[in-house]
Amino acid sequence: MSQLTAGRNVKGRLSKFTKDYAIVVAILLLMVVFTFASDYFLTYRNIRNIFMQTVSVAIVCIGQAMIVTTGEFDLSLGQNVCLTSAVMAYLIKFAGFNPWIAILCAILVGAMVGLSNGLLIAYAGIPCFIVTLGFQMIARGSAKIITNASPIAGMPEEIKWIGRGFIGGNEYGFPVSVLIMLGLFLLFMFITQRTKFGRSLYAIGGNKEAAYFAGINVKGHRAVIYTIAGALCGISAVILVTRLDSAALTNGNLYEFDAMIACILGGISLAGGRGKIIQALFGAIFLMLFFNGMTMLNVNPFVQDVLKGVVMIGAVALDVVRNRRR
Amino acid sequence: MADNILELKNITKVFPGVKALDRVSVSIQRGTVHALVGENGAGKSTLIKVLAGIYHPEEGEVFLDGVKVDLRTPYESQQKGISVVHQELKMSETLSVAENVFLGNLMYKGRIVDWKGMRKRAAEMLRELGVPMDVTVAVERLSVAQKQMVEICKAINRNCKVLIMDEPSATLTEKEQTLMFNTIRKLKEDGVTIIYISHRMEEIFDLSDNVSVLRDGAHIATLPVANVTRDELVSMMVGRAVAHDYPRSGKTPGEVVLEARNIKRKGVLNNISFQLHRGEVLGVAGLVGAGRTELARAVLGIDRIDAGEILLHGKPVRIDSFRKAIGLGLSLVPEDRKSQGLVQIATVSRNICMVNMDAVSHGFVMDAARERQVSQEYVEKMDISTPNVETEAQYLSGGNQQKVVIAKWLLEDSDIVILDEPTRGIDVGAKSEIHRLIVGLVDQGKSVLMISSELPEIVGMSDRVLVIHEGCLVGELKRGEATPERIMSLCV
Repeated sequence: MSQLTAGRNVKGRLSKFTKDYAIVVAILLLMVVFTFASDYFLTYRNIRNIFMQTVSVAIVCIGQAMIVTTGEFDLSLGQNVCLTSAVMAYLIKFAGFNPWIAILCAILVGAMVGLSNGLLIAYAGIPCFIVTLGFQMIARGSAKIITNASPIAGMPEEIKWIGRGFIGGNEYGFPVSVLIMLGLFLLFMFITQRTKFGRSLYAIGGNKEAAYFAGINVKGHRAVIYTIAGALCGISAVILVTRLDSAALTNGNLYEFDAMIACILGGISLAGGRGKIIQALFGAIFLMLFFNGMTMLNVNPFVQDVLKGVVMIGAVALDVVRNRRR
Repeated sequence: MADNILELKNITKVFPGVKALDRVSVSIQRGTVHALVGENGAGKSTLIKVLAGIYHPEEGEVFLDGVKVDLRTPYESQQKGISVVHQELKMSETLSVAENVFLGNLMYKGRIVDWKGMRKRAAEMLRELGVPMDVTVAVERLSVAQKQMVEICKAINRNCKVLIMDEPSATLTEKEQTLMFNTIRKLKEDGVTIIYISHRMEEIFDLSDNVSVLRDGAHIATLPVANVTRDELVSMMVGRAVAHDYPRSGKTPGEVVLEARNIKRKGVLNNISFQLHRGEVLGVAGLVGAGRTELARAVLGIDRIDAGEILLHGKPVRIDSFRKAIGLGLSLVPEDRKSQGLVQIATVSRNICMVNMDAVSHGFVMDAARERQVSQEYVEKMDISTPNVETEAQYLSGGNQQKVVIAKWLLEDSDIVILDEPTRGIDVGAKSEIHRLIVGLVDQGKSVLMISSELPEIVGMSDRVLVIHEGCLVGELKRGEATPERIMSLCV
């Protein structure tokens, strides 16, 4: 009898796991397909490349995932990356800042943009759609002003390793940027899953009113996550600028949407209160694999954009169907 | 032989955990004003919603003009001649008066919408009702009374035979009421049957021909108002016998722990003062909308107060947020369990530990094992029926959900517990368990402020009862003095 219930329990857990991590299965399937389709796909070099390209958007995903967990979203994240890239590059190239101070400033600027978003959304009560769309334009405009709309290239050697360095040699080493990303994911998984702060986020996402009536500082928490998301944009920018060796207006372009798609693909509920940050990472990896594979198979890039749209709507449709079944 | 326009036979409507209507049979005579009375939660609104096609009864039949009808949607009800003027008016605020009157029922001249004709007709109708107004202004600019008139017009325009009015007078000034009553009499002359819901006895005796009393979802009586007195009606509404025995605390209330002095909030609370003692259950009675919940919110710092002060253990305190109130040892089991009390998609365990996270964490870090263990303790202690503590709260029954809400405040160990409608929509068994929990709190020396619309509960549980009416404290009754009849007569 007890064995029977234990068996059912394992089965139940397994079905819950496959439901929550369907994306992992999808990633594996995708890898199998591309491995057969291209000889070059399953090489350490290519996989490493895919991961390194995923890093900047994946770091933005952490912030977006936390915001989505509370039932909202941030449309300014991509342009925040663009702005902070510009700030960092400008301070180093034209203001003679020590690169490390410039990096710190970039992260602070990112956090300030996030804080402004958060205060206006949580305390002034303006919908997140309006505020973050506004800051998308403000950040983009500011980046244009700072860079005069032309790329700032040529970063000092002492910081290049952040985006391009490998631990254990260039040939088969492990990328530093991927390590930073994994570190950030571990940190924020811990924060969201194991701390009071994380508990409060899920409570707010599940029901803002009930969270308020449980004495949770709903406004404060909402302002803080936008700020964290902003600071993460700064970190993402640092890695992007050092990898590309340039701050251009294309930096971070559409990251906010890629991050949303990653959250959705990963299975984080747009309604809030459900889902784990790690799922967004899997979502981001899936996206990158998908497009890397497409490029390798010489699929027309314009068609790839169309497919991106299809994938997103498909994922949301899946989310809707799943919620309906509940 | 009476000529009945509407006959309800054995209408039963069940909601999870409660029987909102229990085999209700009522006949409404053609061309009369028929009053429907009962306490909050007696089933009046449910009955109206059945007639409006919003709720579908599990059992029973409705006959309109002797023909059995199936009211599946509001549209069908309206088509068949039953219109409702709801308490909370649902109108297209930005559209004009004429547009609202003809909403969904436009007049045409050939294939073209006849605005001119509609404006003319709407103006005529309003004049006939004795409330001429400019039919081109947007509805949002009208007073509540005027809006009601527009709603009535809309109903008449749809050839309504039965007009149901849900507490139309609740928010009107005296002058507006007189106007409204004249309109009702006028409609009656024109042969419209009116079902009228009100808490105000004067109105019922003034306006209506017959009255039906509902109590706890059951039909108690229907009789001509001429054959009944006000007192008889009140006692029918509250019922004579107290439904079940209420548990009692052995303690006698001690010193004053919470005191409110002259609390004012414009338009909501008018100069309310009260004292809550240690080990006491202080009941707050009154009709829905009288200001009971608002009083709790004001005391807890959820709503700002315009004047007055609050004293805790004799010392004045400024409570400007609910979080601060919690810090001072106050708590609230809110009125709406589903939307305010619980995070439905969170587990039982997370809900229980939501307020006092400190009890299950080390610094910032949660102790998951401790969280489960503590929740398990409360689940066992309070006899919460759930598969396990990892079940989402939404899958629990109403009574068990309410126990989870109470559990989180037990874990927080608040000194003063404010409960707003703690047993609304909960079945009898869970109800008495919650009553025992309340007594348990008092036994521990905590103080309870309990808002309830259920008079037997208020009378059975409270050491003292405050009666609130239209934002004013209209009575304070000691145990023994407080009877359902007495409270009811204070709040109507």
